[in-house]
Amino acid sequence: MSGVLIVLALIKILIMVGFLLNMAAIATWADRRQGAMVQDRVGPNRAVVFLPSIVVQLLFVLPPALFATLAGFTAYRGVRGPGAAEAALMGAELAIFVGWFSLLVLCFVVRRKGAANALDEMVGGWAPRSILVTGLALHVAAFVALSMVPAGSWGVAARGMNGLLALVFAAVGIYSASKVPEGKVGIRLAGTLHAIADTMKMIWKEDFIPPRGDRLLHSLAPILAVFPVLVTCAVIPFGRTLCFRDANGNGFDFADLKTVAPAMTSAFQCPRGTAVPLQIADLNVGILYIFAMAGTGVIGAAIAGWASDNKWSLLGGLRAASQMVSYEVAMGISLISLLLIYGTIRLGPMVEWQSTHTWGIFVQPFAFILFLVALLAETKRVPFDQPEGESEIVAGYFVEYSGMKWGMFMTGEYVEVITSSVLLTVLFFGGYALPFLQNDGVRVAFGDTVLFTYKMNHVAVVVISMLTFFTKVIFVAWMQIFIRWTVPRFRYDQLMKLGWTRLLPLALANMLVTAIVVLAVDGHSDIEGALSFAADVTQALLAIGMVAAVLAFFFGLVEPVKRQKILLSTAQKFAAAAGGVRMRPRQA
Amino acid sequence: MAVKTETTPWTKPAGKPIAGKAVPRPARSAQVQAYLPELMKGLGLTMRHFFRNTKQMVLGQKPDPVLESLSEGITTIMYPEERRPYPARFRGLHRLTLRDDGSPRCVACLCCSTACPAQCISIEPAEYPEGDARRGYERYPGTFVIDELRCVFCGFCVEACPCDAIRMDTGNHPVPYDSRDQFIYRKDLLMSFASRDGQQLTENPRHEPGDATHPGITREQAGH
Repeated sequence: MSGVLIVLALIKILIMVGFLLNMAAIATWADRRQGAMVQDRVGPNRAVVFLPSIVVQLLFVLPPALFATLAGFTAYRGVRGPGAAEAALMGAELAIFVGWFSLLVLCFVVRRKGAANALDEMVGGWAPRSILVTGLALHVAAFVALSMVPAGSWGVAARGMNGLLALVFAAVGIYSASKVPEGKVGIRLAGTLHAIADTMKMIWKEDFIPPRGDRLLHSLAPILAVFPVLVTCAVIPFGRTLCFRDANGNGFDFADLKTVAPAMTSAFQCPRGTAVPLQIADLNVGILYIFAMAGTGVIGAAIAGWASDNKWSLLGGLRAASQMVSYEVAMGISLISLLLIYGTIRLGPMVEWQSTHTWGIFVQPFAFILFLVALLAETKRVPFDQPEGESEIVAGYFVEYSGMKWGMFMTGEYVEVITSSVLLTVLFFGGYALPFLQNDGVRVAFGDTVLFTYKMNHVAVVVISMLTFFTKVIFVAWMQIFIRWTVPRFRYDQLMKLGWTRLLPLALANMLVTAIVVLAVDGHSDIEGALSFAADVTQALLAIGMVAAVLAFFFGLVEPVKRQKILLSTAQKFAAAAGGVRMRPRQA
Repeated sequence: MAVKTETTPWTKPAGKPIAGKAVPRPARSAQVQAYLPELMKGLGLTMRHFFRNTKQMVLGQKPDPVLESLSEGITTIMYPEERRPYPARFRGLHRLTLRDDGSPRCVACLCCSTACPAQCISIEPAEYPEGDARRGYERYPGTFVIDELRCVFCGFCVEACPCDAIRMDTGNHPVPYDSRDQFIYRKDLLMSFASRDGQQLTENPRHEPGDATHPGITREQAGH
């Protein structure tokens, strides 16, 4: 293994571990905040840092200034070669997006806090919906206009559009900084500071070990609970394979990092040169490694329950052990049907199969449900959180833990949420695959009829695939947290019954049926052709659904909530006369 | 009424009559048993709440939690910044009302401290100096101390006061402090408070000795 590969592997590990830990910290906040929003409460958003206004202004100016500098540098240097068209398009679309989004934010801010100048008044007077529609229209117009630019003028267009982007970024940064009030400004970041405050609290808290507990095992258990969920992600492919060319002919070294293969075919293999898969370790046991590592997660909970010298924690540890062992069986067998179709247990080829055919959830919807249920039980989250059922056994296996050891169990739980979302994404939601996005650009095709093609730069495709993967993971984690706030906890006998008498037989039946169907279809080219056409149709439906979801999100957001005002009690009438709840400056 | 039930795994003890009112078990229909349709319904409900509330927070449209306490939506008051308006008759911290010249209206009659069930008011009366028009007619509080930690906010002192000199209309609720000393409110502090609309005086007229409306009676005429 050469030095450059080691450096690249370290970078990949950093990306994955950084993503997991950061998302876990954010998930602790998101879980509480989401539950609060479901239950009509505000939730954690009181953690605050007071900064002088100049610092806040810098915070507002610096990120846009950084992007503006990047765009300005691109415009100054110019882009040559095939990348110029994309640079122009990206610059234009980004400038339009930043423009309409900032105007929308400004419009809402003005409507909430009042206008400070003529520009504010004008923007506040616009209808939010019309800002959004105009922005979308501009997006399409820019795409059409730039695709009509002749190949000779791509460089000029790239310069112009990136210059425009730099101007937009600079304007947004400076104008938003000018809106920062004088004096001390409280920064809340929607409550995400709570995660930091909680961590600081947990680090300084007393680390209590029960006097008759096992000191060694008590300290070992949190490590054993966190470690397996972190290493699970070692085999997850989080982006398309990066292809490098060997420019100087002495093998792959640091100098070759600059020569990313520019032109790609739609196939997954690199044409020539070195392929760097965006996957920390490409093990040939693939999914088995994940099961092996996830299986050791039970040891942490069981040891914690045993070492605490507490009947409740012992009960919790026992429950955790039996639950996780039970559901591991159903989880593994429910996936076999999927593996029969993918024809591999390595995760990279699985995602490639889903990218060229269709997402796993369409070929095995039943296996998806079984796997999702088993996975929820495996992560010990609601509705399967009997190991830590507060109403019965206080906090289950970590009842005797405090401080950062408890925090490690909590981190482990939330990393597990992210890890399980990663697994669901890779197995059922196509991993990094986007509908119709091939290795060389967008290609909309049904069977052999090609409707639309758009060539793209290799780096752009890889970056988009990475962003796709992480976005999907965040979305799936969000959905998982919703299940927590919707479903009440099962009873323990119901849990065991569900695992052994429902999930396991259903998974076995699904496996048998799938095996028979796969054998029956194998070799019949007409059925396979029809199936691959159906796969393309599902891709089209997915693409339409995604675009519709994003549009619905933005259109739903700009429409104000309508509510009836009912004044019932005399207290309310008095409060209405007094102006309702009033904002006042903080007292000491 | 005792109801004979058939023996199922869910009735305990099996076959024995249940004392009291029998609650019918919900129907175990296929839809309920399948669990997934109901789960999706539940997810839809929680998501509706989530999106509506999130949208209100993002757009700054949080409903007023006091005015719309009975309607749906977030009803949390973000306390130090947002204040619930107290009712007009809310009994807050005390204040001593002033005369037009800025001196306290209190004549140190000790009615309030006598009426106080918590015995948290302490007054030391003092005579006006020789030559003052009020000397011989009334006294003033040399010290006026209220222990707000002892106070039960019953309002008896306000009712007992014959001169409208003590009021509880500041609209401030008791404030938490670090030490007990800080709860001892003295005359100067009590005189510095204003009512909720900023008044330090009262609307009730006060007939000072020397005024045309003053009957001119003094303590010297008590001995006839």
